[in-house]
Amino acid sequence: MSRTRRNDLLISIALTVIAFLGLFPYLFMVITSFKSTEQFYENYWLPAFPLHLDNYARAWEQIQPYMTVTLIVAAGTIAATILLGSVAATVLARHRPPGHKVILGLISALMMVPSIASIIPLFVLMRDLGLLDSVIGLIIPMTVAGVVFAVIVLHNYIKQIPREMYEAAMLDGAGGIRMYFSIVLPVIRPAIGTVALISVINVWNEYFWPSLIISDNSLRTIPVGLQFFKGQTSTDWGAQFAGFFIASLPMLLLFTFLSKQFLAGMRGGLSVDR
Amino acid sequence: MRQDVLPRAADRSETPPAAAEPPRRRHRYWAAYLALLPTVALIGLFAYEPAINGIIHSFFTWRPGFTSTFTGLANYERMLTDELWWSSVANLGYVFVFGIFTWIVPFIAAQLVISLSRRRAQFVFRTVLILPIAFPQIVTLLIWSFMYHPQDGVLNSLLSGIGLDGLRQNWLGDPGLALLSLLVIGFPWVAGLPFLIFLTALQNIPQEIFEAAALDGAGRIRRIFSIDIPLMASQFTLLLFLAVISTLQYGMAAFVLTGGGPDNATQFPILRMLAAAFSGRDWGYAATLSTTLFAVTLVFGLFVLATQRRRNRV
Repeated sequence: MSRTRRNDLLISIALTVIAFLGLFPYLFMVITSFKSTEQFYENYWLPAFPLHLDNYARAWEQIQPYMTVTLIVAAGTIAATILLGSVAATVLARHRPPGHKVILGLISALMMVPSIASIIPLFVLMRDLGLLDSVIGLIIPMTVAGVVFAVIVLHNYIKQIPREMYEAAMLDGAGGIRMYFSIVLPVIRPAIGTVALISVINVWNEYFWPSLIISDNSLRTIPVGLQFFKGQTSTDWGAQFAGFFIASLPMLLLFTFLSKQFLAGMRGGLSVDR
Repeated sequence: MRQDVLPRAADRSETPPAAAEPPRRRHRYWAAYLALLPTVALIGLFAYEPAINGIIHSFFTWRPGFTSTFTGLANYERMLTDELWWSSVANLGYVFVFGIFTWIVPFIAAQLVISLSRRRAQFVFRTVLILPIAFPQIVTLLIWSFMYHPQDGVLNSLLSGIGLDGLRQNWLGDPGLALLSLLVIGFPWVAGLPFLIFLTALQNIPQEIFEAAALDGAGRIRRIFSIDIPLMASQFTLLLFLAVISTLQYGMAAFVLTGGGPDNATQFPILRMLAAAFSGRDWGYAATLSTTLFAVTLVFGLFVLATQRRRNRV
């Protein structure tokens, strides 16, 4: 018993060191976010008191528009992705009109090609459509990526719903729309959660697209806005790190409460990594 | 709602369903295509149109909004002799090799985690080790840019703190160090897909196999090489291909931290492609570079699909 104990203790120490090294930059960020500039230079490594919450007030003032835009883009992406993705997956998995295999194949093929590969012609298209510097221009590519993922995941889910359930509903006179609401939607609800989560993560991480199409400061999403914010706060480290921390909070909260789906999404999502 | 559908349907089970089938079916297809239309239109217009348009215009001197002239393979010939392009491709080689090399740490960490005797402790350490991925990528990059800050950065402060002032560096501003500095980002590289995959694979190896190995007198190192690694072969293959694909897309860190500099030391294909279009106004050439990236990624993507198919069948 004592041997297992000692083993566990040694392993725990080693793992704690690794975890500390990995988390150190973030810890440093949080600690520094509460320091004034003087405290930062006097007491570089350790927490300093009193805590300067005014850093957060200053950071929030600048970060707030980026957070709002990002939330709007995320909400729009989630709504469009779930609506289009679940309807398409239902039709392709259940109703199977002639050509459904070709359509599914064309959608799945997009999983393998990262969107960055066609970012140049996509930019030209959006310019021709007059969608540069617009929220719609931000939502569309995120929705395309989301729908591809959603159709593949939901298609697998819907395929597994027993045929008898549909037959029973059909005999009952339920049409396609009612079947979608009363049979398909309740069954795919957990998968929809994962799809929504991945959309949020994608919006919070997509950098190149917004950096290309957005020049209006009030339309910047977090990835681009935060970089601009860093330039604005150059050596006001306290406010800068407070801003970084605020911008991280939504994803940290999702990770805390939905870590299982978060990690599952990483696994499914990384092969589509944008 | 679902609950009351079922019993009523059972009552009517005597009605022959075949009679109602043909007209209903045709109606259903019409509605089915209508329901698919928005998705197909979205994907066709915003995924396939740009991809095809990019391929076509890679053979043009592309001037969006004006007349473009067909120039055949001129753009591709230019790419073949573009030294900056080739050095950016070579940098991808460093990213790939370094990336594979860093898997040692998540591999060891996963080994340590499964060696803990309590499940609860395993779970806690897994969560804490993976936590850095919960931060947005941009936050990670900007914090690391602070770590490398020449005056106030953590690295230089640490060196001064232990009396090694002479080793202070301009980490991102020195052409000889910038690429390495970018690669080190995320140290100790545990929070990521390799760790999750190694951990799941190791947790799925039946305990009896480990016990049998211990009975045969196999030590830890011996066990890793003759049991763990062979059993994880398919995971390694998958990770390798995924690493190739994510390497091809590498560029955000360089774009945010160095912009490809100093002295082009951290150039990457994506940065070259964007610069060709947005600084050089050379859209046709940019389309050539993106088509090349697209084609290479597609080839490796097909490999991933093939390996995953095989794995699912087993």
